[in-house]
Order: sequence, then structure tokens, then C-alpha cells
Amino acid sequence: MKRSLFLFTVILMFTAGISAQGVAVGSAVENFSLPDMGGKSQTLNDLKGSKGALIVFLSAQCPTVKAYNDKINLIAADYAAKGINVIGINSNATEDLNWVKNHAAEVGYKFPVLIDKGNVLADKLGAGFTPEVYFLDAKNVLVYHGAIDNDRFNRGNVTEPYLRTAFDAQLAGKKVERTSVPAFGCDIKRAKAIAAQ
Amino acid sequence: MNRALRMAANVALSAILVVVTGHAASAQAVADQGNQTALPAVTRIDIGGLRKLIKPDGKPLLINFWATWCDPCREEFPDLVKLAAEYSGRIDFVTVSLDDPADIGTLVPKFLSQMKSEMPAYLLDTPDESAAIRMVSKDWRGTLPLTILYAADGETAYLRNGKIKHETIVAELEKVLPKALPAKTIE
Repeated sequence: MKRSLFLFTVILMFTAGISAQGVAVGSAVENFSLPDMGGKSQTLNDLKGSKGALIVFLSAQCPTVKAYNDKINLIAADYAAKGINVIGINSNATEDLNWVKNHAAEVGYKFPVLIDKGNVLADKLGAGFTPEVYFLDAKNVLVYHGAIDNDRFNRGNVTEPYLRTAFDAQLAGKKVERTSVPAFGCDIKRAKAIAAQ
Repeated sequence: MNRALRMAANVALSAILVVVTGHAASAQAVADQGNQTALPAVTRIDIGGLRKLIKPDGKPLLINFWATWCDPCREEFPDLVKLAAEYSGRIDFVTVSLDDPADIGTLVPKFLSQMKSEMPAYLLDTPDESAAIRMVSKDWRGTLPLTILYAADGETAYLRNGKIKHETIVAELEKVLPKALPAKTIE
């Protein structure tokens, strides 16, 4: 009985396109709805651009995010014109709304930031760190996820612009060669883990 | 006479002050030197260095990947320091920092000093961190902390991505310790 249940679960995960670490590249992400910093409900389908969306997990305190903030804004500006809209997500259970708002205002994010209370979206996607990115095409299919580039200290020496490379290949109708790049970043503070402490 | 006595007293007082302040200054200099020398050495390694580092050298090896900006890393560090002391000579403990290489002489050794860590300390500096992450473990996505315990033969005995749990890590450390040789029986 237990074995049948296990097999059923495994089959269900594969058919749903969910890997052990979240959504797999090539699988579609279901439309979701989360409140923005003003409390208004927003959906992926409403926020995405004509060519897709970039979901980026943010933090108000993570030094890696802080090092990337300007670059994220630049990417948002560069690709909004090409049909890819950036959607910021804050999933950290340790960061309250005011903190997130103040940080966003300080940085001047040029895209909406949604609040993922209880890490629902982070769990669904399998997001583990900030600033982890998920690039979805127009049909919400995951094209690329992971690192933005190989310059997490913002020294101005990017030699591997992983995300821009993926964007440009996809927009040109070419194959995205590197679909997943792990990176060092701050762990997303899960509500369950905080509650267990 | 009184004047002569006062002069003698002043000379004596000045001499005492010179000696005392001199000693104080020397003591401060020694303390400063001590503080400087007390900062633990942190060795910069590239991906080749990391490849060598994750190979045990005759003993089981525990490697902890961490950063000063990582809350759970800082929280678990005292436990690692304690365990490293307890298993000293039987299991090698090393730490690999993922801090900014610019902090190799400041934030990183200062934290290690505060923790009284005597574990050999390294800092990874590579332009391709994704390759380093994949080399360490195909299941690792780069989140910190990561603790890996290798058996003496190099096999991964335990991997924890997240803060270690004391009882669990102790049980795993005990498992990789070389088994005591059976006592010889005299027939």
C-alpha cells in the first residue's frame, strides 16, 4: 500500500513537471496570485510581458541582493521594452512589509514586488536563495533559472551574463544553452523553519 | 632642605611615571601585536584548490561552506568549533568561506577569531562559482550553509544543506570514525 502510494506520488510529480527541487525547466508554471506591497492582488498572467516574465526572489537585507539591485533594475528596463517583464518576490518570513517597502523605495525597483507570505510560491518553484531568478516564456514555461551572472560582488567584471544570454537566445528564437546555473546567495527564510525555532 | 626634598620627590615621581607609562605603552604595543597575530589565517583557493581540499587525507573530513552574511552559518559556527576540538586528531575539520575576497583579511578572520576557531580556513575565489557548486555536489544549489562529511576513503558520508543539528552530526561523525581494532586474544 505504502509502495503504491509512493509510486503514485512520483508519477504525479513527473506528470505535473515538478522535480524534487521545484519546477523543472520545460514545465509550465501555473498562474498565481499574490498581493503587492500595497495589498492589491496581482497575478502572473496580468504582470507578464508579451514574451514572458522574470521572477526574481528578493530580500531587504541580503548583501548579494544589494549587490545585484542596480543590475536587476537595468535588466528590467532593458527587457521590458522587448516584452519580458520583471516581477520581484519577497518570500522571507523574517522581513516584515514595512521593511520590504522601505528597501524597495530605497532601491527604486522599476517593477512590482509581491509578498509571498508563507513561501507558497517559493515552495512551488523550489526557490532556495536570493536573488534566484526564474525566466518564464509567454506560456509560463520555465526557460531558465538560477544565477543572474557570475559577478555577485558587483565588481563590474561579468564574463558570464547567464540571464541576459538566456533572454537573448529565447527572443531570437534560438536554443537556450544553459538552462540552469546554481549560485551562492542568501537562503530564503522559510516561515516553517522560523516557527520551529 | 625642603626644596631639595621636593626636587628629589619630583625626580622620583617622574621616574616612576616614565617607567609606568613606558610599560603601559609597551603593553599596549604587545596587545596590538597580539590582536594582529591573533587573527586566523584565511587561505584563498580557486576551483583547483577546492578540488584538492575535498579529498580526505587519510582521515574523515568535514567541510563547512559558510559566509559572514549568512545567518544560519553564524548560528551553527560555535557548534562546529566545539566539535572540531572534540574530534581533533580523528576527523579533519575545514571551513570554506564564500565571502567577498576583499574581506579575506578583515571580516572573515575577525569572525573566526571571535569564534575562537582553529579549523583551517579557506575562501573560495573563482569566476565560475557554478562549476565549484556542481563539483562539490550535483544536488547543491549554492544555498548556505553546506556541511559535507567525507569518510576517509573519500565517499560522501553525510551532506546537510542548512543549519546542522547537533545530535545528527555527532551520530554521523561517530559513524565515520575508524573502527577500533578487535582486541587480540591470547590462546
